[in-house]
Amino acid sequence: MAREQSSEAAAVQPLLEQFQQLFFISKIVGILPQDLDKFRSRNVLEKSRNGMIYMLVTLVVYVLLYNVLIYSFGEEDRTLKASQSTLTFVIGLFLTYIGLIMMGTDQLTALRNQGRIGELYERIRHVDERLYQEKCVLDNSTIGRRIRIMLGMTIIFELSILLATYIKLVDYTQWMSVLWLVSAIPTFINTLDKIWFAVSLYALKERFEAINATLEELVATHEKFKLWLRGDQEAAAAPPLDSSQPPQYDSNLEYLYKELGGLDMGSIGKGSSMSGSGKNKVAPVAHSMNSFGEPIDPSDKAGNRNPMASNMVHESELGNAAKVEEKLNNLCQVHDEICEIGKAMNELWSYPILSLMAYGFLIFTAQLYFLYCATQFQSIPSLFRSAKNPLITVIALSYTSGKCVYLIYLSWKTSLASKRTGISLHKCGVVADDNLLYEIVNHLSLKLLNHSVDFSACGFFTLDMETLYGVSGGITSYLIILIQFNLAAQQAKEAIQTFSSLNDTAGLVGAATDMYNSSSTLHDLVTTTMLTPTG
Amino acid sequence: MSPNTWVIEMPSQKSCSHPYPRRISPYRTPSLNRDAFTRDSPAAATSGPSTRSHNHPVFEDIRTILSVLKASGLMPIYEQVSNYEVGPPTKTNEFYSFFVRGVVHALTIFNVYSLFTPISAQLFYSYRETDNVNQWIELLLCILTYTLTVFVCARNTKSMLRIMNEILQLDEEVRKQFGANLNQNFGFSVKFLVGIAACQTYIIVLKIYAVDGVITPPSYILLAFYAVQNGLTATYIVFASALLRIVYIRFHFINQLLNGYTYGQQQKRKGGGGGGRRHRGNGQHHPTPNPAIMEHFPEDSLFIYRMHNKLLRIYKGINDCCNLILVSFLGYSFYTVTTNCYNLFVQITAKGMVSPNILQWCFAWLCLHVSLLALLSRSCGLTTREANATSQILSRVYASSREYQNIIDKFLTKSIKQEVQFTAYGFFAIDNSTLFKIFSAVTTYLVILIQFKQLEDSKVEDPEPDQT
Repeated sequence: MAREQSSEAAAVQPLLEQFQQLFFISKIVGILPQDLDKFRSRNVLEKSRNGMIYMLVTLVVYVLLYNVLIYSFGEEDRTLKASQSTLTFVIGLFLTYIGLIMMGTDQLTALRNQGRIGELYERIRHVDERLYQEKCVLDNSTIGRRIRIMLGMTIIFELSILLATYIKLVDYTQWMSVLWLVSAIPTFINTLDKIWFAVSLYALKERFEAINATLEELVATHEKFKLWLRGDQEAAAAPPLDSSQPPQYDSNLEYLYKELGGLDMGSIGKGSSMSGSGKNKVAPVAHSMNSFGEPIDPSDKAGNRNPMASNMVHESELGNAAKVEEKLNNLCQVHDEICEIGKAMNELWSYPILSLMAYGFLIFTAQLYFLYCATQFQSIPSLFRSAKNPLITVIALSYTSGKCVYLIYLSWKTSLASKRTGISLHKCGVVADDNLLYEIVNHLSLKLLNHSVDFSACGFFTLDMETLYGVSGGITSYLIILIQFNLAAQQAKEAIQTFSSLNDTAGLVGAATDMYNSSSTLHDLVTTTMLTPTG
Repeated sequence: MSPNTWVIEMPSQKSCSHPYPRRISPYRTPSLNRDAFTRDSPAAATSGPSTRSHNHPVFEDIRTILSVLKASGLMPIYEQVSNYEVGPPTKTNEFYSFFVRGVVHALTIFNVYSLFTPISAQLFYSYRETDNVNQWIELLLCILTYTLTVFVCARNTKSMLRIMNEILQLDEEVRKQFGANLNQNFGFSVKFLVGIAACQTYIIVLKIYAVDGVITPPSYILLAFYAVQNGLTATYIVFASALLRIVYIRFHFINQLLNGYTYGQQQKRKGGGGGGRRHRGNGQHHPTPNPAIMEHFPEDSLFIYRMHNKLLRIYKGINDCCNLILVSFLGYSFYTVTTNCYNLFVQITAKGMVSPNILQWCFAWLCLHVSLLALLSRSCGLTTREANATSQILSRVYASSREYQNIIDKFLTKSIKQEVQFTAYGFFAIDNSTLFKIFSAVTTYLVILIQFKQLEDSKVEDPEPDQT
């Protein structure tokens, strides 16, 4: 079926063509179960039983390796905190395994969605074809570049964190230390999965922007058209008047004159737009700043339009309401379809995003807290040894937060782009200044108002800047709580130590060691990670 | 076809003798709708509503839960006037409800009395002072919530009946118009009832086993009434969720109806008829409904708008009725979840003396409250989303004629600022994000509480008190 349609719209290249390298890598590390050959030959994602088995095998292998890592590096912790309480054990376990949970969520979700992801890209291709019919061509090559940049950055970050930690902080004389490489697997897999999501989201955003651009272009050509009409009219009388940007008061006055002269503006349709043209001079003023605060540059439009205005015959689609209605309707439908695709995509990735956000929050807090602990020369769990070095911590934090923030930012931008379409549509209405077109625009903008694309994590919270603010506030308050209690614990510990040094009898020393242990559980509450069940 | 035919026809059809007054159209067979909205056996689906006996009880789906609530005086024991109407309760039934409520209040007073006197001291056997206080507060909160529930229910008897009548009226109209019976399997309510009962009995048994010595009768009464209060409050929450689910099904019905007119479906219809320009239907995501014929749009849309308005009113009515109850329940549940999590952690971390009794007790409470919270927020969220989806679906209807466009515009304009929300007394909206907020708040409190406890423990063990 894809073949049949490709002849009809040969110029539309499928989005997935750009995903070649990403798919290859994802396939090898076991993120996507889909068939590799079919993807190579036809750019489709299809279910594959072998891929599924391969993925499950990789999942099991990763989980096993990670557990071996935790076990072997837990040796150091075991001697250190032999007397930890169960609570700290549980929390530590959770912090240790959150990476693994995240990876498992990603892989299992990919397995569950393996049929539906292909469908999603098929829908995007339909949208592309429809956009192509509306003479709105999309350039997918930027997406390919984006993927390569993101892949490169992922590899640089992972490698730098891994190598720096390995060289500086791991005892690499033992052969077991090679296992440390495994610690990078969950984050790497997670990042690859998120690149899929981010790039697809970016593609959707581009499509929204293409729709907006098409609408803006309609406005621009119509302005040229009107200028051309007027220039034609006024060329004989006053050539210098339209060579520069027309002064606003002048046209306003013209408008007033016409109004006062009893000309019925409403009845003058777009068909005879030369008489109605004066009114539209208001448009650049009214829209010199859109509601998103971005200035619309009137000067370069004016610069473009003037040289062309004199020597070209212009046609404006906005002049023909019946024809343009069809086009606007189609654009609206495509907009709705993109919104629906966005919703479907969000649903497919909702659990991975939730786990990523939980991971980001926990790891960010823990890493900063351990950094504090390390500066106070307290012991920290061995899996978080990167916190001993501030530079590595900075890199790791920027990597983790970059992932989360980029996703949130992109989701936010996409929903903003989808909302901008209404503004662009209204510009069409304003510039054409035609009753019939106004009606159409009003009708369609009501529809656009109801096309909502909001990205959320399972409905628990939306992905926008507000959430980002909330999360950073949460991290700060947790850090303050943790550090305060850590300080209190330190004080208690010091008190006990002075006490034990004062009464240096054998029995009391024993008791003091006990106390030392019990108070150290305070900062162990989050600190601890690994313990054997016997501990 | 005049767009208003059905409005004129309506009053004459009151007798319900002829269930399909308008049309049995080729594109919308009754069985289609029934397939979409009923889960009962296909035999019943084909027989249609006309074969049903006249005196089948209304709200059959939630009969069990209603009977429990009726018996406990929370719901009026209404009279069924016809298949689609309920009447106010008879004098004796009203008296019965009144009597039950009186007994409840008397017991409450007795319980509060025994809570403040040493009679109940043996129930608070716990090993630490703070735990006793916690349990105390929990008991008081429970009593408060239930008393509030009883009061609010007693006050809202009339509006509850009105809501029920409105729902029934709506059903009647739907049945006349489309021959669809909007029933659904409310198995979840019965499951929850059984679960609540089991949980409460389990908790009581645990409690009785935990108390050493002979339990005095007042303590027995206190415990039993405590369990009953908890159970009934929980039942009321389940009932509210079931009501919301009922509203959700109605919203879903009109959305499905409207979905037949969306451009995706229309294109599919044209494509099926043999060749529109765009032959690929892009409505893979709405596979269920058949595309409707555009000519029916004016009358259907009028009907849908009316239904939507009525449903919104019902939704608001339900919200008004259980507003206060929800607030107090959420507060109570928040407190219980926090204290139980805390107890659980204390039990786990306490070295050596893990008592399985308290562990089970905490787990039972946590299960009960978390599942109730999840149920409530889920049904609220679902219903709100479905109510808001109507305008979104309508915006997908692309009509060529100006007249139809105006119909669409009217509804869309109306719904611009109409934010449908289920609120807890206006304090906050209840949906999935509420669940998230509650749990994040619980986590924060837990971290603080546990930290304090550990600090306290280390201070207690510290023999030198002057170090601060």
